[in-house]
Amino acid sequence: MDLNNVLDFPILSLSIFLPTIGALIIWLFVRGDNAVRWATLAVSVLTFIVTLPLALSFDTSTAHMQFEEFHPWISAFNVNYQLGVDGISMPFIILTSLLTVICIVSAWQCIQTRVKEYMLSFLILETTLIGVFSALDAILFYFFWEAMLIPMYLIIGIWGGKNRVYATIKFFLYTLAGSVLMLVAVLAMYFKAGHTFSLLAFMDYPFDFTWQFWIWIAFFIAFAVKVPMWPVHTWLPDAHTEAPTAGSVILAGILLKMGAYGFLRFSLPMLPDASQYFVPFVVMLSLIAIVYISLVAMMQTDLKRLIAYSSIAHMGFVTLGAFMFTQVAMEGALFGMISHGFVAAALFLCVGVMYDRLHTREISAYGGVANVMPVFAAVVVLFAMANVALPGASSFVAEIMVLIGTFDTSAVAQAHLPVSMKWVAIVATISVVLSACYTLWMVKRVIFGDVDKASVASMKDMNKREFGYFIPLILLVIWLGLYPAPVLDVMHASVTNLVTQAVTSKLDAAAALAQAAPMAEAVHH
Amino acid sequence: MANVTFPFPFPEHLSSLMPEMFVAVIAMALLLLDLFIPREKKCITAYIAIATASVAALLCVSVNPAEPLVGFYGFFVLDQFAVFAKVLICLATALAMVLSVQYMKDLENVGEYYVLMLFAMLGMMLMSSANNFIVMYLGLELMALCIYVLVGYQRDILRSNEAALKYFILGALSSCMLLYGVTFLYGVTGSFDFVTIGKGLADAGSSSHTAVMLGLVFIIAGLAFKVSMAPFHMWTPDAYEGAPTPVTAFMSVAPKVAGFVIFIRILDQAMPALQHEYTMILSAIAVLTMAVGNLAAIAQRNIKRMLAYSTVGHVGFVMLGLIAANDDGYAGILVYMSIYLFMTMGAFAIIIIMQREGIQGELLDDFSGLSKARPGYALAMGLMLFSLAGIPFLGGFWAKYAVFIAAVEAGHVYLVLYALLFSAVGAFYYIRLVKYIYFDDARVQFNFSESRLMQLTVVLMAIAVVALGVYPDPLMDLCKSAVAAMI
Repeated sequence: MDLNNVLDFPILSLSIFLPTIGALIIWLFVRGDNAVRWATLAVSVLTFIVTLPLALSFDTSTAHMQFEEFHPWISAFNVNYQLGVDGISMPFIILTSLLTVICIVSAWQCIQTRVKEYMLSFLILETTLIGVFSALDAILFYFFWEAMLIPMYLIIGIWGGKNRVYATIKFFLYTLAGSVLMLVAVLAMYFKAGHTFSLLAFMDYPFDFTWQFWIWIAFFIAFAVKVPMWPVHTWLPDAHTEAPTAGSVILAGILLKMGAYGFLRFSLPMLPDASQYFVPFVVMLSLIAIVYISLVAMMQTDLKRLIAYSSIAHMGFVTLGAFMFTQVAMEGALFGMISHGFVAAALFLCVGVMYDRLHTREISAYGGVANVMPVFAAVVVLFAMANVALPGASSFVAEIMVLIGTFDTSAVAQAHLPVSMKWVAIVATISVVLSACYTLWMVKRVIFGDVDKASVASMKDMNKREFGYFIPLILLVIWLGLYPAPVLDVMHASVTNLVTQAVTSKLDAAAALAQAAPMAEAVHH
Repeated sequence: MANVTFPFPFPEHLSSLMPEMFVAVIAMALLLLDLFIPREKKCITAYIAIATASVAALLCVSVNPAEPLVGFYGFFVLDQFAVFAKVLICLATALAMVLSVQYMKDLENVGEYYVLMLFAMLGMMLMSSANNFIVMYLGLELMALCIYVLVGYQRDILRSNEAALKYFILGALSSCMLLYGVTFLYGVTGSFDFVTIGKGLADAGSSSHTAVMLGLVFIIAGLAFKVSMAPFHMWTPDAYEGAPTPVTAFMSVAPKVAGFVIFIRILDQAMPALQHEYTMILSAIAVLTMAVGNLAAIAQRNIKRMLAYSTVGHVGFVMLGLIAANDDGYAGILVYMSIYLFMTMGAFAIIIIMQREGIQGELLDDFSGLSKARPGYALAMGLMLFSLAGIPFLGGFWAKYAVFIAAVEAGHVYLVLYALLFSAVGAFYYIRLVKYIYFDDARVQFNFSESRLMQLTVVLMAIAVVALGVYPDPLMDLCKSAVAAMI
């Protein structure tokens, strides 16, 4: 394994810890709400700039880990501080650092109490998120994965809505209970794979089917809670609804992706046979998420709840694509995550803009907003169209790729499915209509129509700051919708490698190893 | 694991006993000296006692042997394992006394309090070095008698008396059980010495099985009482609630360290032949302990009772190290205890600062809005609570990790799974307290009883918890080598 950095400079470590160092400095030395806001913005912009070289000098021709760092951390258990990114994880780091900047700008005015704590929570959250996406050691991964709970718990609990305490405790316990199983799985793999926590070693080690089966289940519970997949999704609508705007943005933009990223980083490459075995199960849950959750979304009266359910439905596409074992579908799933990161973030920001004015999230409290806030209405309609996956938006590229990948049946996935994959694709395609239903109906009720409420009449259009943080999102959604090649290029080599790993059975190697072990022992004696 | 046994003439033996002798002499001298210190200046006694405990810790380090020493006809053993435990015990005692200064000043200011703590510490130090059931029992009783008195220290408060009485009666009963168990082993093997008993049991085979099993069960039950394993935990919540809070802090750390250390020695040296049996018994107890501790804590409204059940829960987790019965497990116990010391002392320091007029500030509600009144304390308490819940970047995560990985190594995957699920259940009551601190508004005016010393303690504990969370490697190495050098 090549442990040298491509660049000599530890960019990943710097991206991870810059926010925390900045948070410490702000905590100790910066006084006054406005100063704190500017300092936090400076730190987050700086972090974004630091992460840019990851994208700019990324080698798209290889599936190997890049920007690797390796330091022993806990020698007693061979736990290492091992970092590295490939085409699967790198985009998420950029997404995280970008969305954090947007979150901080968006909270400029709507957070007026305990500004400093809020900003510090976001910076520490950023550290843990970048850490999750760059960790190549299972314990380090778990470390960041769990540490993320603390700032998120506080963000929802302190600055959230009326029912925030219930929502945040539910969020915390759901996620914690899910991820403890992951820890057991990781510890078991440590002993099985020969006292190592390296993800790359786990990917190479041939686990036999029984091991894969149980470890897969443990991982699945942890990741499915995070994605979230039906039926363990119930924490999400609560958490989203009660979280402050920026909290929802990070939650939808990044946190949900951690679960799907877990599938791609752990389940598929490490446990290919179990992953194939469970294809029907995952496909079933994904279709339920797409169809049933879309119907649920339609019936929501609360704007944020609606978008939260829409997120679950979109993540259903992602999990569907991830378990199709075709290059196109998997790239579509990855691209879908990135795209959804922008679109869902933007939609939550839109709700935030309205909430700042009327302090309600009820759909019925609005109506005719386009008449008083024309610029804002244009932005909402644009992102609503992106949510529907209209051609020209990034989400269209993602969904079409997943659907093509599903139609273009891979033998591996089909072998485990009782029905033709075509039917799966047909159901998924039809249900794209559902997302149009709930999104457009919401737009109709909120944005269009006559202004028949005095409160709506008094709404002012967005100011420059508000419009400012939509600009990068608008540009990205349209740019990636029209020309997705740059992001797809980054993913390509890594996804090819991942598909190879996922379709290659480990069972033969495991059997060979099981045979070799007694023989080696006999030779030894 | 070489044994170096010295011949009778004492000098070398005495030097290995130096920390204990030092504590004994100073404690007795302090008892006399205290008579001449006027009541309003009793903090002099406190500071001398704190200095004694700290110096004792340093002395322990200074007598740290490269090879295990067995002296006094095999009664006393000094190895790195014992030294590590003694340092932890001295540290816990010193911290508990630091927490007491202001608290006792606000109440009745009495000097014997600190002397009793020193004697309890002495008892626990003896326990850590015990190589023989007699020495173990002497240490245990010295500790227990002092703590009975400490628990009932607030004579004019009913619940303090009630707690002390309950603790004393149940404690006496458990000591009887322990002794009863020892007599069975003595009957079978004819010795009180751990190693001789171990050999004797290995030779005895099944002929004396019933007697051996009775001995095992009674000894485990007796010790289980001391470290609050369910179902022998009944005294814990009452004693914790009734005791003066610094004593609660003391009780929840130091005796647990000593208890687990002696548990390890007995199981590892006297009962290796019974590993299958004691693993089964301890697994059953652990399953119960984790459930009782973590579930009952949820129902508590008083923070001291909650932490009492939380201790029970943590004891359940620590037991996984005993059940693993390997070096990693024992090292994990030391790691757990070290980190637990910092978390618990930090949490209790803040509880003591919060206390007003004796017993106010004990309800969870009383913490409402602390983050607005005093963000510093709120942050520290938040860190302690998240750490107790085992959330990473804080020490508590590695404490759990260290024992869990050892248990997985020993093949107890289901037990670890169970433990992890209960640690998620346990997280609920910790984060509920964070909720009071951060999410709720203050209900009453805060009135802190604080001093520079207390603030310093809180800061140091918080730093320790974060530092150990980010870089636990040195501690883990230290514990590992301490266990490797165990006799």
